[in-house]
Amino acid sequence: MLILRTLLFGPAHGHQIAKHIQRTTEGVLQVEHGSLYPALHRMERKRWISAKWETAKDRNREFKYYRLTQAGRKQLVRETSRWKQLASAVATVMWPALEDPS
Amino acid sequence: MSLWHSLRLRLVALWQRPDREMELDRELESHLDLEAEEQLESGLSPQEARYAAQRTFGNTTLVREELHAIWQTIWLERLASHIKYAARSLRKNPGFTAIAVLTLALGIGANTAIFSAIDALMLRPLPFSSPDQLVRIYSTKNGTRIGGLASAGGPSPMDVRDFAQLNHSFQKIVTYDTWRKNVSFGSSGGEPEQMRVGLVPAAYFEVLDVHPIMGRLFTEEENQEGKNYVAAISARLWIDRYAGDSAILGRKIRINDEPYTIVAVMPDAIPEWMESWRPGLVEVWTPFAFSDLWSEASRATRGYCALARLKPGVSLEQGQEDLSTIAAGLAAAHPVDQGVGVLVARVSDTRVGELRPMLFLLMGAVSLILLIASVNLANLLLARNSARQRELAVRAALGAGRGGLVRQLLAETLLLSLIGGAVGLALAQMGLAVVTRTHPERLSQLASMDIDWRVLAFTLLVSLATSLLFGVAPALTGTRLNLVDSLKQGGRSATSGRPARRLRNLLVVTEMAMSLMLLVGATLLVRSIIGLQHQRLGIRQDHLLKGHIYIPGVRYPNPGAITSFCDQFGARVRAVPGVIDSTITTVYPPNDGWTQMLGIPGHPVTRVQDIPSTQFGVADSHFLRTLGIPLIHGRDFAESDGVATPPVALISEGFKRRYFPTEDPTGRQIHIGPPPFLQIAPGANITDSADVTIIGVMGDFKNAGLALPSEPQITVLYSQHPLVNYGFKDVVIRTASEPRLLLPEIRRQLHELDPDMPFAEVQTMDEIVEAQTGGQRFTTILLVSFAVAGLALAVVGIYGVISFLVAQRKQELAVRIALGASRAHVLWLVLKQGLEMATFGAVIGLLGAWATQKLTSGLLFGVSPVDPVTFAGAAFFLLAVAGIASAIPGARALGIDPARTLRQD
Repeated sequence: MLILRTLLFGPAHGHQIAKHIQRTTEGVLQVEHGSLYPALHRMERKRWISAKWETAKDRNREFKYYRLTQAGRKQLVRETSRWKQLASAVATVMWPALEDPS
Repeated sequence: MSLWHSLRLRLVALWQRPDREMELDRELESHLDLEAEEQLESGLSPQEARYAAQRTFGNTTLVREELHAIWQTIWLERLASHIKYAARSLRKNPGFTAIAVLTLALGIGANTAIFSAIDALMLRPLPFSSPDQLVRIYSTKNGTRIGGLASAGGPSPMDVRDFAQLNHSFQKIVTYDTWRKNVSFGSSGGEPEQMRVGLVPAAYFEVLDVHPIMGRLFTEEENQEGKNYVAAISARLWIDRYAGDSAILGRKIRINDEPYTIVAVMPDAIPEWMESWRPGLVEVWTPFAFSDLWSEASRATRGYCALARLKPGVSLEQGQEDLSTIAAGLAAAHPVDQGVGVLVARVSDTRVGELRPMLFLLMGAVSLILLIASVNLANLLLARNSARQRELAVRAALGAGRGGLVRQLLAETLLLSLIGGAVGLALAQMGLAVVTRTHPERLSQLASMDIDWRVLAFTLLVSLATSLLFGVAPALTGTRLNLVDSLKQGGRSATSGRPARRLRNLLVVTEMAMSLMLLVGATLLVRSIIGLQHQRLGIRQDHLLKGHIYIPGVRYPNPGAITSFCDQFGARVRAVPGVIDSTITTVYPPNDGWTQMLGIPGHPVTRVQDIPSTQFGVADSHFLRTLGIPLIHGRDFAESDGVATPPVALISEGFKRRYFPTEDPTGRQIHIGPPPFLQIAPGANITDSADVTIIGVMGDFKNAGLALPSEPQITVLYSQHPLVNYGFKDVVIRTASEPRLLLPEIRRQLHELDPDMPFAEVQTMDEIVEAQTGGQRFTTILLVSFAVAGLALAVVGIYGVISFLVAQRKQELAVRIALGASRAHVLWLVLKQGLEMATFGAVIGLLGAWATQKLTSGLLFGVSPVDPVTFAGAAFFLLAVAGIASAIPGARALGIDPARTLRQD
């Protein structure tokens, strides 16, 4: 879900995705490279994202850029709503008072 | 994601494997580079930066492996490695492998061979366009087909004409016939030959949708007698006899000494089995033209061939219903059509004919063989797997899942089955070569038997099914391991689990049952064939030669000429050194195709169905002596009986029994032909209004086929009956030595008398009898070999299991011997197990044979399909064989040295 969300901003290559997740979560979530690529490839096989070798704007070399597909967008919506459900459920268990404004 | 998509991706991945790998490397590399650059920025040396990048990234190989797994066809690769391993393990056990492959090859080979017969006879489409529309029409009398299975049995031409006019279901209906005629091909065409000539209207070819290669079809006008001297010849004949001469059209061909103009060359499209009731390929056709064919006179003349083509979209049932309605109308309108119905059958279904029950029987038998073979394989696998328990346990301990082990064992079975299938295919090919070379003439359909894609697919399917069905159970029981036990005990005293043992016993019982069924079937067939061949023909069967001549009406225009030709030829044959006697006749055992209505004193009749009708034949005065038929009473024909003397007849004992049970028939008068009151349209039947005097009673001889009792027979002299003195005659010759040796001299004598007359259909009486039992003998030989194969497999099976049990019970037996058990007791312990299984199997097998008696009953002669002697004999034989097979390991058990065996433990 995090990867899909990252790609929502536009195409990115593996390293950028890893760095982006690391940066936005202020280092809380360290993306293991050992699981990043398998995840990316699995999503590519499921056609949630597509991949293409492109030359980066700022450098003179090719990177494999991943971008979100239509199916990926839908999947992101699905997963987001599921995550929200889960998170609020967890929250209800952990901080029941918060749910109660009184 | 759809399965298809996934599969395609994986296959594409497999294909592009090197590309994919390079790309993965490149992607990971670029990541590492970027990481290193970042580290570089934080001030590390390039070398250190690289290492740091690699550290953050982790194990690149592992990642690569994992990415691989996402894209690759893991299961395919695993399968390949399974098979590789399986091949290695099979190679290491050549004995096991050889036995398993041979067992399977036997089963699969037999099935492939029989399947190709079925393929050739039943499955392959006919060589005509829209073959499903082609039907044959049979006439039925009171519900059964006239003439039986081995006859053309079609409706009369007039009925066919009415069918053709009144029906709504058929494009065309045609009636035709095939006749034996003498054919001469002119100066360049070689020897004259007696051939089967098709008498067909042009519509015959139109129904079949066969078009001339050259020339034209017959015209409507040419179907009239007198205008019918045109002929079509087959392409084969055109090549063989006329060397493919392009100026063939317009040349003359002489048929029964009359010139016919060749107007067409037809393709070799019409297979021999189309007229299976009459042997011989039809290669010459002339128009179907008889003066009285299309008159009411022919309304009652049934037995021609009738062929039709259904309109597109009309079902067989609709066609049948249509014609049945018309037939009912005809039966109401014409007295001779009373009780006559019609039967429509697809031509493709008629090609099996009388072979159908035999095919089903053989199919059943080979399935049993395959089952036995498969059961043996399963048994072998079970034994092998329990012997491999330790290996399997080690592999399980090293982390192989049960699924993996099962897959591994299945891969072995699969490989075995495929090899077995391939060897089986080779066996089948050899078998077919033998069969097609030696097949009896009546199985001419089998000549086209070969291995095509259908057969290949069948073999593959059978192999795969075998490995799955019979590999899974052993694999499952074999892998039901208790790891610790197997390893600890080192497999030494490990008894294979109860389920495995029970399964094995069950398998042996099944084998026994099935081989007993085969044994019973084979024994029954052998007994009936022995019965058939030792049927008393009522004649002396040895040293008899038979040939057929046709005396053409053109050169022998009247009965007197025919008689004098026959007398001359008979005298010449008798003069040939080595000939004891010879007769010219129309009747010889075991078949007389001629029945004749008679008027017999003391048997007044008022209804058609009560008219006495018996087997009839004409002969000369040497008939009884040549054939060796005994004269029971009265006198034989004499040379002095002739045109000038009163007509005389010999009747058979059966004839006397039926019509003169108490009185002396000699001197009684019989009227040949239907009684005067019966007004059959003139010319519709052969009537000879002559009276004959019975002069003697001869012994019964077979005249209704080998398998049926003799019918009453009456034989008269052709010289005294001009109306039935036709040109077709058989010559039967009794010789002192090997009959065929005299053939050239007999031919020479015939050619001296008439150079254009072929001496055809030459057979010895032994050959005739053999040909009559050809179909059964073929089946019997096959079934016996199947039974032997099945029994051998079952014996191997029971031997294997008992040996295995003895090996497993070695310690127990050693203890018993040490404690003083007698040798007989030890032997009995072992034997008992084998006999128990055999007895169970025998009981089930007998029940099975009883339940399937319908399969055999049609092929048996003189034996009941549940013949108790055969049943008991086969069962005892099986028990005896099983006993011997278990006695061998039993003897081994006796050889156990208790001291040594027990110390080993």
